[in-house]
Amino acid sequence: MFVPVFTLNLNQKILPGRVAIGEFDGRHPCLAAATTAEKVFIHNPHRVKHANIGRMEANKNNQEMSFLNIQQRVTALATGKLKAVDSDEGDALVVGTPTNLLAYDVDKNADLFYKDVPDGVNVIAVGNIGDEDSKPLAIVGGNCSLQGFDHEGNDPFWTVTGDNVSALTLMDFNNNGRKELIVGSEDFEVRIFSQDEILTEITETEAVTALVPVQDGRFGYALANGTVGVYEKTTRWWRIKSKNSASAIFSYDLDGDGVKELITGWSNGKLDARNDRSGEVVFKDNFNHSIAGLVEGDYRLDGKMELIACGSEGEIRGYLPSNAEVRRGAMDMNMEQESLRELAQRKNTLLLELNNYAQNKRISVGGASNLGGVLPSARGMSTNDLGIIPAQTQLSTSLAINLGTDTRPPHVEVSLSTSNETVIRGILIFAEGIFEGECHVLHPKDPTTSIHVPIFPAKDIPIDLHIKAFVGHKGSQQFHVFELTRQLPRFSMYCRLLEPSSEPLPPSWVEFKINERSARVALWLNQNFLMGDDLEAPADGKLDISFSSLRKKDQELHFHMEADGTVRILCDNMDLCGDLIQSLAEYLAVDDLRSNCDFPIELKKLESLIESAEELQSVRQRLSAEMADNSGMIRTLIVRAEDSRLMLDMKTMKNWYTQLNDINRDMIAGYKIRCNNHQELMESLKKVNQIIQKAGKLRVGKSKANLVSESRNAIKENNVELLIKVIKTGDT
Amino acid sequence: MDLNLARVDYMQVGLTSPRTMRLMPSPGGKSQQRVAVADHAGILQVFSMKRQDVTLAFKTLPGPEIRRLELGGALGTVKDKIFISAGNEIRGFTKKGKQFLSFETNLTETIQTASITGNDLLVAGQHVYNHYQDCQDMNYFLSEDKINDILALPGEKVSTLSPLLACQDRSIKMLRDSNVLYSAELPGPPTCLQLYYNDGGENGDEVLYGTSDGKLGLMKFDRKGPQTHWLIEREGAYGAILSMDNYDITGDGVRDLIVGRHDGNIEVYTYDDDINEDSEPTLKYTHVRTILERIGMRVHNENMIHNYRISLLQNCGESVNSIEGGVVGNAGYEEIVVTTYSGWCFGMTSESVEAHTGLQVEMASITDSTRERLGKLRSEIETLQLQVNYERDRYQSNATLDNPPSSISAIPKLDINDRFTLSQADASYNLSLEVQTSIDNVLLQSDVPVDLLDVEKNSAVVSYSACDPQSGNALLATYRCQANTTRLEIKIRTIEGQYGVLQVYITPRLQPKCCQVQQYQIKPLSLHMRTHKFDKNRPANVLHLKGQFTLAEMHNWVGFCLPEVPEKPPSGDVATFTFISTFLDTLLQISYSKGEATFKSDNISTISILKDFLTREATKKRINLMIDCDVNDESVTHTLRLLHPKLESQLLLAKQVAMIQPLKDLAAHEENLDFLSPEFQYILDNAEELENQFKRQPAQLERLYGMITDLFIDQHKFKGQNVKSKVGQLLDILDKYNLEALIEFFKTH
Repeated sequence: MFVPVFTLNLNQKILPGRVAIGEFDGRHPCLAAATTAEKVFIHNPHRVKHANIGRMEANKNNQEMSFLNIQQRVTALATGKLKAVDSDEGDALVVGTPTNLLAYDVDKNADLFYKDVPDGVNVIAVGNIGDEDSKPLAIVGGNCSLQGFDHEGNDPFWTVTGDNVSALTLMDFNNNGRKELIVGSEDFEVRIFSQDEILTEITETEAVTALVPVQDGRFGYALANGTVGVYEKTTRWWRIKSKNSASAIFSYDLDGDGVKELITGWSNGKLDARNDRSGEVVFKDNFNHSIAGLVEGDYRLDGKMELIACGSEGEIRGYLPSNAEVRRGAMDMNMEQESLRELAQRKNTLLLELNNYAQNKRISVGGASNLGGVLPSARGMSTNDLGIIPAQTQLSTSLAINLGTDTRPPHVEVSLSTSNETVIRGILIFAEGIFEGECHVLHPKDPTTSIHVPIFPAKDIPIDLHIKAFVGHKGSQQFHVFELTRQLPRFSMYCRLLEPSSEPLPPSWVEFKINERSARVALWLNQNFLMGDDLEAPADGKLDISFSSLRKKDQELHFHMEADGTVRILCDNMDLCGDLIQSLAEYLAVDDLRSNCDFPIELKKLESLIESAEELQSVRQRLSAEMADNSGMIRTLIVRAEDSRLMLDMKTMKNWYTQLNDINRDMIAGYKIRCNNHQELMESLKKVNQIIQKAGKLRVGKSKANLVSESRNAIKENNVELLIKVIKTGDT
Repeated sequence: MDLNLARVDYMQVGLTSPRTMRLMPSPGGKSQQRVAVADHAGILQVFSMKRQDVTLAFKTLPGPEIRRLELGGALGTVKDKIFISAGNEIRGFTKKGKQFLSFETNLTETIQTASITGNDLLVAGQHVYNHYQDCQDMNYFLSEDKINDILALPGEKVSTLSPLLACQDRSIKMLRDSNVLYSAELPGPPTCLQLYYNDGGENGDEVLYGTSDGKLGLMKFDRKGPQTHWLIEREGAYGAILSMDNYDITGDGVRDLIVGRHDGNIEVYTYDDDINEDSEPTLKYTHVRTILERIGMRVHNENMIHNYRISLLQNCGESVNSIEGGVVGNAGYEEIVVTTYSGWCFGMTSESVEAHTGLQVEMASITDSTRERLGKLRSEIETLQLQVNYERDRYQSNATLDNPPSSISAIPKLDINDRFTLSQADASYNLSLEVQTSIDNVLLQSDVPVDLLDVEKNSAVVSYSACDPQSGNALLATYRCQANTTRLEIKIRTIEGQYGVLQVYITPRLQPKCCQVQQYQIKPLSLHMRTHKFDKNRPANVLHLKGQFTLAEMHNWVGFCLPEVPEKPPSGDVATFTFISTFLDTLLQISYSKGEATFKSDNISTISILKDFLTREATKKRINLMIDCDVNDESVTHTLRLLHPKLESQLLLAKQVAMIQPLKDLAAHEENLDFLSPEFQYILDNAEELENQFKRQPAQLERLYGMITDLFIDQHKFKGQNVKSKVGQLLDILDKYNLEALIEFFKTH
């Protein structure tokens, strides 16, 4: 077994995911972590220094610890060189809060910069995007936005993404020698940005909570539902799911074989290392508390980089790669015993399976001789015990749209039925992202030969349904399990309208041109919608097809294609149009697509959002000024009250304190208003970002990146008209 | 935990029953012993280990399931004769494998347990006990309750044959010939008996017992009657005890107690004879006494309580069916030999721990031989795989439509080792499921609302599915198991008064895929357990029934209503049972005869549930019942007082837990915490323990509030009043809990 090379207890709470290690003076590694009471502590075991100036406050009991008072909730923490990489300057400590970003020089005990970040800071990564010699940036992931700051606090990098950024890392994704930005967000997406252009998107099954580069273009990820896995490019090598959630992931070569493993720290205190190609566990350890962070550093100053694991109650353990000698020892013997056991288990399973076939044959032979159709009760076992069903029993499935009833909204329906008198006792459907849990169960009171399962997918993503059906007879003790997998098409929640609808055409539209025959587009439609009957490729090359949404009754979608390849989609839902264009572009392998559009409803909303954001900004300034006024008053009142107290003038003192109380109340009220104001401001900014992101999704490749950066410029210039023009035409 | 043992696998046999493995007596010293093991395939084999290889001494042909294996021999000689029970037959083998006895008993049931001393053979089925001397039928006894184990005190020390029957009704019965001499009450249903120190102590009359809810105790059975010596109830160790042995594994000259449990735990308890404050005794006498007193038992001999500590605690992931200490793998090294439910036979040896601290050469040879075994296994698997592929194709081709419709596919049922037991400690049910191959998923379906609690060691991913009440489902939950899970434990909390069926669909990871259904009854008074004492001084509510029902009918209803009721109706004219609520400690006494039944309880809700249930059942069977209810208003106050300490400690705990975070924040700002009051300092110091305690019993307060609300409603129901509208007021009072105010509210409303 592995034994940690060192263990420490810092007796400080560590907030999960907010741990970093940095050489702040350029030589000695220090651990920095967010702790309770809005503080960040720095553990510096190697160079004792008392600095009680600036933000730093040394702990009198423990010389190695010093604290930074942030006075706001710490939401993210990172370290790294912000000035040129090759300088001998130390690492900067970058701390994020819901509204601000602080870059701090711990060694000099001074701020590098302190910036307002209206989108909030959820995660921070420090490093270079692109070439090695480009300027290092602190990249901040906030609400739908990504912003990169240099050491002076300028933000040369800005882009938007679909939802709140929840994980961020820098790595060479496509082995081109340049670093790409990998962004995980709460809408279950992992997006890979090369500069501000999206290279790929991967849809996962839950909010992405952590990303970490492993090696050779592989990266590990963790999701909010306890899943951990490894991707190479867009191919998933493996994933596992636990009932606990992964609180930190990291990559480190723990078994000393020259290849890094994915290290996972779990919320229940487990720590494990898994082979990055197979997911096999090569190492395990246990903490008494949830693990808060994993970092790597030479913490003993002996030239070896240790893996450092931090528990949420301040327990720190360092590990070194095991050497060959140790590995041949006890580990090996245990491993061999274990693999022996595993093989024996496999052998046992195979033998059991053979026994199943042998018994089946034996009973079948008996059954055939029994012409009356009465099944044999061999050796006192009743048919119910054996779970006997006719050998040719088959289970048929179909997917269809059900327009619903008065009590049940329209939905997609999975129907299963058996081919004979056998009944379906129950159904388990394992699918991710559409049910409350990972599995949906149907267990009717009286089992029947067919069963219908309503499904309400909330998002337009293709879903694999893994169906397990228990087939047998009424009163059976044992059922046969039929396992099958069906894919739900991406846009299954849209029902084709065969008759032209009576509703007026939606005013919103998007138009673009593709150089493809309509037959391929028809194929795409057949694959991605539940059509009932397949759509035939039209002879004249024109396509005209309409759908209505099952989620919103009155929402319609019209898809027209001219013979010359011009496509026009009419629909009020900008998001849906974007999804359609992205899906179609992917299907047809289009790498650049320009489009024109008009979404009057959405754009109107955008205008009012920007307007309200401005208003909220000014309210906020006013409130801040009031607060400053009040703090002045408080000071005066306290002095006066204390004066009165010293002069034993209790009546006046009471008077002053009453006034103080009033101001205090006002300030609390003011604070509440400011909180709401901030909430609203964040909300509107998030929505603005989302609209830009949606507009981006109406384009593909270069045109998309171009639109995002032009929009950013327009916002910076506060030019709403220009912004709307950019969204409509994709260009200035 | 000062023992460090390494697991070494010896072999795998078929599925086993509890206590079907014994070590043959050693010729002397620390020389290697042979292992005798019997399985469900009916095979008895005796093997020894020679340099990591199994050497078979003999192996019998398959036959009916072997349920028990015992060693015996003439009094005063080495006990090296092997006796096995299969069906209603007892067979005897010499250590060389020669069958010298084949004795068909006249038992109508399958023999479940057996014990042998000298020429006396004791066997028992589910309810029947029989004693044979030299294969001559001597004595016979029919037990009302299920017999779980049987043990004869050693003939060497006890002159008259003294059989002990461990019965499901929480008792050990001492027999004399065909009659019960006396019956000893236990805190739980005993599952396993073992002589203390393997010889019964000084007078051969001290016996260790283990219960199905994990308690462990020592009792003395002499002429005067039973005496409790000690009892261990370790928190968290609630797995049924299946097997025990006394063997000196720690090498301190005193035999240690080795225990194997249903939940896979292997435990070694070391006795500390001299009571020393430094020796970390984890069990305190007072603790034992509170447990005993709670169930109305008395400790007979106070200074006999031993201190003990646990020197080994390991979980092998499978139900430990047989356990024994000895020397098997290598001469000179003590070890614990275990067989599990799925037939794994392995040693927990002290050897390898020493081996890899020094002897590298030996290590290499070990790995070489295991490598050889690995290679052999792999090639075996390859051949099997080919065979399986062929058979699989054939099976698949059967499923096509060209086949005659009369052809069938039938899959034999897989044995499932399951247990559904009420845990007294936290008033919830433990469901454990074990299959000989790995489990793919488990579906839990219930038609009454139950809560599933998280089990720490359970790695399966649970997913709750939305339930449509119209389809008769109140709970649908799936457990998707991780690879190589053969055992699953689930904790279930029931609500008294709501009864129905819990169905469990188990799908093993085995082709052709099948799933099996197991059903468990959730009874109306599911949280009650049997006890022996009824406190007549408590104020009681009485429900009196008269009508045209037979004793058997009434017994049936009682059996449906309450757990731990014997299957068969008692033989006498009047049947009496006493129960205690595991959650509230209220009592219930039932006595009934033909045409008449009386139910007494200090908890009015219990009576109300019984009344509702019985009226419904009687109406179903069209039996006219005369119901007479005598409600004692004092009883409500009494129950509230009974609840008071629980409620108070829960409230305090909730308050303390809520204080932890703010106090910690404060601590982060301050350097010196001396100014805090002792109460707050206590919270800070014990924060972790408090949080754990709170986590272990989720929603305990809500559960107590629910009980009080029920009490309130039931009290008024008997008066014919509907007080549902006043429940809000009651909850307000509970929010600002104060016992007197609560009692006042019950009195005035």
